[in-house]
Amino acid sequence: MNPVIPAPVPIPLPAPAWLVQLLLVLTSVLHFLPMNLLVGGTVILTISSYLGRRDPRHHDLARRAVRAMPPVVAFTITLGVAPLLFLQLLYGQFFYTSSVLMAWSWLAVVLLLVLGYYGIYWFNLQQEELGPRAFWVMLLTSLFFLHIMKIFTQNMSLLERPQEFYSRFLAGAVGTYLGPSDLLTYARLTHFFVASVAVAGLGLAILSRAWLEEAPELATWARRYGTRWFMAGTGVQFLVGLGFLFSLPAELRSPFLGADRLATGILVLAILLAVLAMLAAPRSLGASAVAIVGTISLMTVVRHLVRIARLQPYFDPRSLPVEGQWTVFVIFVLLLVAGLATVGWMLYHFFRPAGSHV
Amino acid sequence: MNYPVWEPPMLGGGIIIGIIAILHIFVSHFAVGGGLFLPLTERKAYRENNPALLDYVKSHSKFFVLLVLVFGAVSGVGIWWSIGLVNPEATATLIHVFVWGWAIEWVFFLVEIAAAFIYYYGWDRLDRQTHLLVGWIYFGAAWASLFIINGILAFMLTPGQWLETRSFWSAFLNPSMLPSCVVRTAVSVALAGVYGLVTASTIRDVALRIDVVRYAAKWVLVGTLAIPPAGLWYISTLPPLAREISMGAAPAVTIFAGLSIFFSLLVVTFTYFGPYQHPRYFNLTFAFVIAVLALSTTGVTEWVREAVRKPYIIYDYMYANTLRLADVPRVRQQGVLNSALWVRHREVDPERRALAGEDVFRVQCASCHTVDGYNSIRFAVKGWSPAMIEYQLLHLNELKGFMPPFVGTDAERRALAEWLLTLNPQPVRLEPAHVGEKAEAQDSAPGGTTKP
Repeated sequence: MNPVIPAPVPIPLPAPAWLVQLLLVLTSVLHFLPMNLLVGGTVILTISSYLGRRDPRHHDLARRAVRAMPPVVAFTITLGVAPLLFLQLLYGQFFYTSSVLMAWSWLAVVLLLVLGYYGIYWFNLQQEELGPRAFWVMLLTSLFFLHIMKIFTQNMSLLERPQEFYSRFLAGAVGTYLGPSDLLTYARLTHFFVASVAVAGLGLAILSRAWLEEAPELATWARRYGTRWFMAGTGVQFLVGLGFLFSLPAELRSPFLGADRLATGILVLAILLAVLAMLAAPRSLGASAVAIVGTISLMTVVRHLVRIARLQPYFDPRSLPVEGQWTVFVIFVLLLVAGLATVGWMLYHFFRPAGSHV
Repeated sequence: MNYPVWEPPMLGGGIIIGIIAILHIFVSHFAVGGGLFLPLTERKAYRENNPALLDYVKSHSKFFVLLVLVFGAVSGVGIWWSIGLVNPEATATLIHVFVWGWAIEWVFFLVEIAAAFIYYYGWDRLDRQTHLLVGWIYFGAAWASLFIINGILAFMLTPGQWLETRSFWSAFLNPSMLPSCVVRTAVSVALAGVYGLVTASTIRDVALRIDVVRYAAKWVLVGTLAIPPAGLWYISTLPPLAREISMGAAPAVTIFAGLSIFFSLLVVTFTYFGPYQHPRYFNLTFAFVIAVLALSTTGVTEWVREAVRKPYIIYDYMYANTLRLADVPRVRQQGVLNSALWVRHREVDPERRALAGEDVFRVQCASCHTVDGYNSIRFAVKGWSPAMIEYQLLHLNELKGFMPPFVGTDAERRALAEWLLTLNPQPVRLEPAHVGEKAEAQDSAPGGTTKP
């Protein structure tokens, strides 16, 4: 049976497909960075809040590290808006169909997000008052965010499988379908999860430098502890990533195993950067962070290449008519530069040493 | 028609959007007005050298961050989520028309969030001047964000020249964009006062509480009093049918429009005679009463704004059931079952017409009607005879101005009519001569095979 796929909107794209794809990948990278810190961070905080019942170091670590979390949640959400916007522009007919099929699950993301976000604040503002119950608050919070990650993985997987759409519809699953739960989807989810724990470990190690003056012993220990999470996570990722790669259908896997030089090169470079990040971590967290951002960026490109390949039989965005809205695009770019400069100015004043304020 | 239809039982998609949207609007307008309230009140505290007032602003900023950054931001995303589920075709259209507008709004959103955090965490880290400036940056970004979203929302009701030019600027600078923006700005100022009353009512220092309560009440009054002239300007830009619907043509909408004015008057009256005239006796319960009235005003007003757009979702371009006006002739000719993608029956089987009729209902009516819940179709057609249903379907848009016409072939219309007939027992005449028939009709109706 030919897959049933909605027709694209009969309005030309406001920019060429390549530009929208570029923005989609760039903004996805921006979203993945805080998202990894968020999901992995809540997992590490859950463990520390449990161990912190007996170990004061973990208690102190959770108390200090959770302060960084509200902005992490806020920027995960804010930076997630843009890639979703460009995804809907380019692949709307796939995205909306998969979302509608799993509507209840997809809508639950909003509720889980509110609950998880307030969970972070609750822990942050009342950890001492909560006592041992703080662990349960953080456990629930991390489960909420993990579940969001699962739903996202399932929806992003389903949208790449239009051949399943109509059978789900005929099965009466409009809105109640929970999403794909096959090996490939779970391999993808595990890949994301392990990455998030590793990145959050590195984030913790970097964050601990801010505690050096107030609590030097804790800072030194937290740096080692965070680095261990990063090393273990990245190490495990080599296995999980390999498993994910080999759970892909052969025609999708082969471009990354030599059939396409560019695709293979990108994947190999991403892996090499991850190795570099591991080697650099004990000596320079900054260098390690730069390398791992490189890995995340390249893996996002890999992810996009897989999406293009999976949808290739049904749709090529380059076939869409284009009528560039260039004036407003230029305004967007100028405002983006001005906006980032403004944020930079505010951050500069915020992090300036207290004595230098006028 | 292009997408599968999600039918949340009892509620329908519209109510789900409505619940999220009304709560979001109530908080997001506070996000804008509160952004003005904070730096102005902070500046007032510096000028009056009033550390107690400054402490109040600090605690208000915590309340602000907890409400606006969490619930405000997530519920805003929630609206996007829900419209994509309930009306994907219209959402996709809006994204194609406005993607760079949305991208610009995203930039403002980013600045807004960063500024809010730095304002909140920066009380002890930034000097006064810089802290105030961050507050103003927050307000500027929040208002700019409102300005853009308002333009997109106004476009749906008054697309104006875009219908001919298809240009971004015609779409954004549409007839109701500016008046709507003024109304929303005034609402933001009023809501800043309402939320200010809530936090002010909890101040322990009596003298300070009296001062701040009266100060916040002024925000409510100034904001609310600016709404009527801006509202009249806004109404003057609406399409004639939208005005008619709100002013008598559709009683439910007219009642809600009346309630909007009534609740607004209650907010003004309660605020004037309560916190403004007698701030000493003002307390948290009273503040919540005003907040609930303000939420009710927001709810009914937004409901009316949505309702007057009927029968369209994008005026003069796309009907509420996502059928584009330009596609009507094609769908009439091909039939709705052959035009829609997500149906189970492509043809009307003369022996089992109701089955195809249910498909027709789903793709053409279910975006507004549920079967048994909100705007129930079973209830709407209760007591209708076959002839009545036929007549209604033939003249839907003429009889009910807020409904799109039925679009499809004659066979599909009859199939829909037959399915509608299966929803209720057959109507019967109650004359004594037909009492016997009544029992007969009731016995045969639930089977769903009665022919018109």
